[in-house]
Amino acid sequence: MVDFLIGVFLATLITALFTTRLYRLLFWYALNSLTLGLLALTIGTRLHDRAMLLSGALTILLKAGAIPYILKVLSRKFALVRQIPPGIKTQYAIMLVPAILVFTFYLAEPISHMVQGNANYVAVSISSLFLSLLLMIEHRNVAPKIVGFLCMENALFLLGTTATEGMPMLVELGIFFDLLMAIVVINLLLYREEAQS
Amino acid sequence: MSALLLYFLTIVLMLLVAPLLLSFIKGIKMWLLYKRPVSILQGYRNFAKLLRKESIVSREASAITRVAPFLVLSPLLVVLFYLPPAVKGAYYVSFVDAFTITGLLALSTFFLMLLGLDSASSFGGMGSSREAFISALVEPAMVLTIFSVSMMAGDLGVGQAGVNLAEHFPAEHMASFLFAAISFFILLIAENGRIPVDNPETHLELTMVHEAMILDITGVYLALIESAASIKFVIFASLFAGLFLPFGPELAWPLALLVFLGKLFAVALAVALIEVHTAKLRLFKVPNLLGIAIVFAFLSLITFYVLGA
Repeated sequence: MVDFLIGVFLATLITALFTTRLYRLLFWYALNSLTLGLLALTIGTRLHDRAMLLSGALTILLKAGAIPYILKVLSRKFALVRQIPPGIKTQYAIMLVPAILVFTFYLAEPISHMVQGNANYVAVSISSLFLSLLLMIEHRNVAPKIVGFLCMENALFLLGTTATEGMPMLVELGIFFDLLMAIVVINLLLYREEAQS
Repeated sequence: MSALLLYFLTIVLMLLVAPLLLSFIKGIKMWLLYKRPVSILQGYRNFAKLLRKESIVSREASAITRVAPFLVLSPLLVVLFYLPPAVKGAYYVSFVDAFTITGLLALSTFFLMLLGLDSASSFGGMGSSREAFISALVEPAMVLTIFSVSMMAGDLGVGQAGVNLAEHFPAEHMASFLFAAISFFILLIAENGRIPVDNPETHLELTMVHEAMILDITGVYLALIESAASIKFVIFASLFAGLFLPFGPELAWPLALLVFLGKLFAVALAVALIEVHTAKLRLFKVPNLLGIAIVFAFLSLITFYVLGA
């Protein structure tokens, strides 16, 4: 089951890389966060970890529900450009994405020996970190860059959940509040950008 | 029931259900668009009507036009015999691998393209070149995908792989299994000319691929080509059902066949939903979609090899 969810996580991220529409990108981000939340719930039930169950539920509520909705509202409010063609051509991205994946899978090999049990998840989360970096750098517009940043946070959360069997609850709650603050900051940023133009 | 009898029963069932599936897709689409849906039996009616019609061949056409419809249909009929079994205990061909099946499908496509060129109309040439363009991109991804599934199943033969998967599902390789399934579904859409790649219902000249090649064909020949298209869909749907939804064959045979039919209709439903929700891609955007299919097929192979997940 966890393997399946990890597959969905990576698949949604790769599909997000090839999307050219903003709302579709937000949908893929929501799906990505949803699988992340389900993953935390699955691992939490297996470990009987109450904190992880809580953070999984919070992930689903906040990252799969609230944040995409807020971003959609913001993009409507500021009339952001909804056509977001990637700066890297699809032909090159087709070659780049597997190269990144192979590279990171081999890169994670020494680290994954240190982690007991689920070694693959470390490799998958590091590769999704790189892929969301690619998502940030391949776009010119602000909105997809924000989504790339949020995806990167998702990848770190995946690393935290799977490699260390859950970070301390306080840290995770702190991250959630940081994310919400980031959305507020993004709101201000967009506001300023509109005021200048 | 004897193994051989079940084998032939499955094949006859697939042949019978082939026109039904395409009319089912059409019906679902019309229903979702608030139209009055066509009867699910429309495929059979069209077939009967075309058989009664006179077949006219263009004056410019050579002997190929008379021969090619049979050669389009026959490789697909051969492939029907090589598919993974729908019922446990049925006879199956174990040694046929991805290259054979892809090659036979390509042979059928080749004669379809010849048929398009032979009528000497500009539409035929246009349709043939587009079909060549698409199928050249489909084939590598298809070989990669089926190979990756065969690796997980532990056998290169497609039929044997289906049996192995049904007996022992590789839950530890779930991630690469999922990637292969995504890739194969994109290929299913592309190779059958469904909406993001080609629109099977229009005769608008800019969008035609499959229809452009068979514009000049009439009567019995058209009936053959149409049934070849529906059989191709059944082949892909049952490959998807046999390799990526490997449950059900261990039931008693009437139930197992019912489950198999249910899986075929589920694939058709998924295709219909995608067709309603997406617009047709520009022809020059099609390589991007197929590129994504290749990425997922490759990803499935490397996750299997490097991570073992």
